[in-house]
Amino acid sequence: MKVTNELKKRKTPIVKIDKSLDKFDDKILFPEKLEKANEMLKKIGLPKQWTTK
Amino acid sequence: MKLPKYPLASSDRMMTFEFVSEGKKGLIHKLVKYQPTNLKGLYNLAFGDKAPETGEIDDKVISNNGDSEKVLATVVATVYAFTDKYPDAWVYATGSTKARTRLYRMGISKFFDEVSSDFEILGELNDDWETFKTDVEYEGFLVRRKL
Repeated sequence: MKVTNELKKRKTPIVKIDKSLDKFDDKILFPEKLEKANEMLKKIGLPKQWTTK
Repeated sequence: MKLPKYPLASSDRMMTFEFVSEGKKGLIHKLVKYQPTNLKGLYNLAFGDKAPETGEIDDKVISNNGDSEKVLATVVATVYAFTDKYPDAWVYATGSTKARTRLYRMGISKFFDEVSSDFEILGELNDDWETFKTDVEYEGFLVRRKL
């Protein structure tokens, strides 16, 4: 099945929109992870490889 | 990607994704969330199990559903979908435990050949960033779409 094979090869997936998930968008679901990320950003900062070009 | 992955659902803004892992322990609902950090345009990727009854999320649980490769491939697919929607976004990911960070590193390494043509990937090591190498134990990862 050509179409099926094409779908399997796609890197960007087909995503079904489910509005019941909207309620999670503005909720902090993983507070420890977010805190860890923010601490890392404060300590290390952004990578110079990407910010000095 | 050529690897099998689970069908994905997402919120309207594509900040939250859900899929169902099918394995030896049955069906486990997984949630992938892109959380804005204190730096504009940089998002923290987090994922965990969702209890269908309560909607509560657990990012420390080890599901051991026998499908970790398919789960990781699906999480990588969300990075494609998210950065398709937000091409300028930078995504930071780290595990909730050292073992899970190691699992992420192994996952990125496994998919490296496929994803490195689409993403720039840096590894966090000793309070600095370096270009991702497959054999290094990093503390976190930062990715952005190649434009």
